[in-house]
Amino acid sequence: MKWLACELHTHTLHSDGSQTLEELAAGAVKLGFDAMALTDHNTMSGLAGKDVIASQFGLLILPGMEWTTFHGHMVTIGLSEYVDWRSADRSQIDEGIQEVHRLGGLAGLAHPFRIGSPACTGCFWEYEIQDWSVVDYIEVWSETFASIRTNNRRAYALWTDRLNEGLRISATSGRDWHAQKETGDPLSVTYLGIPEGELTTEEQLVNALREGRASVTMGPLLLLTVSLDGQSYGLGSMIQSSPQAQTKDQGELQADITIDFSVRPGLWSLPEQKFKLILCSDRGQELDAEVVWNGERSDDKWLRLSGLPLSSEPRKWLRAELWGTVRKVNTLIAFTNPIYFD
Amino acid sequence: MLILDVMGRVLPEYSKTHLRIPFHLDEDCRRLRLKFEYTPKELEDRKRSLELLQQSFDAYLLPEQREPAMSQADRYLPLKNLITLSLDDPNGYRGACHRHDSVQELTLSAEQASPGLMAGPLPAGAWQATLSVHCIVTDSCDYKLQIWTEKEREVQ
Repeated sequence: MKWLACELHTHTLHSDGSQTLEELAAGAVKLGFDAMALTDHNTMSGLAGKDVIASQFGLLILPGMEWTTFHGHMVTIGLSEYVDWRSADRSQIDEGIQEVHRLGGLAGLAHPFRIGSPACTGCFWEYEIQDWSVVDYIEVWSETFASIRTNNRRAYALWTDRLNEGLRISATSGRDWHAQKETGDPLSVTYLGIPEGELTTEEQLVNALREGRASVTMGPLLLLTVSLDGQSYGLGSMIQSSPQAQTKDQGELQADITIDFSVRPGLWSLPEQKFKLILCSDRGQELDAEVVWNGERSDDKWLRLSGLPLSSEPRKWLRAELWGTVRKVNTLIAFTNPIYFD
Repeated sequence: MLILDVMGRVLPEYSKTHLRIPFHLDEDCRRLRLKFEYTPKELEDRKRSLELLQQSFDAYLLPEQREPAMSQADRYLPLKNLITLSLDDPNGYRGACHRHDSVQELTLSAEQASPGLMAGPLPAGAWQATLSVHCIVTDSCDYKLQIWTEKEREVQ
């Protein structure tokens, strides 16, 4: 799997950003991103000429638009045509999302718990979703130093609640990036996975997000695979219970966790410390382990915990979380999207 | 030629509604010019601002967040009115100008468009400007929309 560093929520002069697409692309490349989505408010006019800028900077630019409505903001990506955001009634957002799907795009709740009007008009999600299975993703980490924000913790809890209900919804970060301003805050990155042998295209990135091949971090890339009966399953996979699953012949379920410190070298930093790795699911915390990291002095490009035994009790989903100290705060540093169980 | 000149007043109760303003375009239009403005932009009454903020904190924040948020209320001030303009031609959407500027002078032609709008042919027929009233925090807010068409020889 090739993991691409993505920034999935950005704005330009075409809405209320104070940067051109070119300035935004230059900034994204400087910060080590491989891809970004342009999600201007209610317009796709900023995408004109994007292919030239994409090839100039060696950056994939996904088309998108942030529905900036009265009852919520919704990021849509991967569609080339406009869908009318103005007709969305508070109880009929499902239809808008389905229209996005018809045009090949994905829809995600943007910063669903950010304070709404009048401070930030429509920023708090107030749509009544009739069928959550239409929702593709939730932007659970918004802005910089995302994990310490209460609003993001609420979004993360909302996502977990939906997973517990058996839904398959991806989770992302998005800076909601409006201007080229320096920040000392940790940035979030959503890594999207493209299978080996596939071309690195916009379409493949959209597929990755749709299928949950996604991992979100403020530093190293966190990956999880589960093996069963000699088969290995990555993020977003669905592990089907085999016909033998009911019998004692069921194979042993094991998890492998990789922390890749080599990503975006020099563009993030964490102090030396003992990380806490957690595997959690709808059954709660299933496993935890301490991992020593020597910070910048470390030669470790990556660290792997292999063959972690998992209980054979049924579960709906499983994800990994990396906890530790960032700017003297103990917080969530990274989390994977889930592996699902049928 | 001035083809549209409308003004009106919206009240806080108009928040979260769209005002649709249709207009007609003739065959020979080569460029549209629009001027959209509204006033006031900001709510100056501090007491009223804090009341409105308190209401939104109660609605959107967890109980334990509300007091700390109120102690930093100035981060959110001044509260602002927000009305945005979007445009439709007879065939569909021509973009939106979602930004806080309360005076916007916009142009649209086959070759060029103000940021947020999409350049392209200007088909004759029924067009529509939509004013999306996202939020009105002042007692009332006056808006004005003017649209001019320019023929071939007028376009530089």
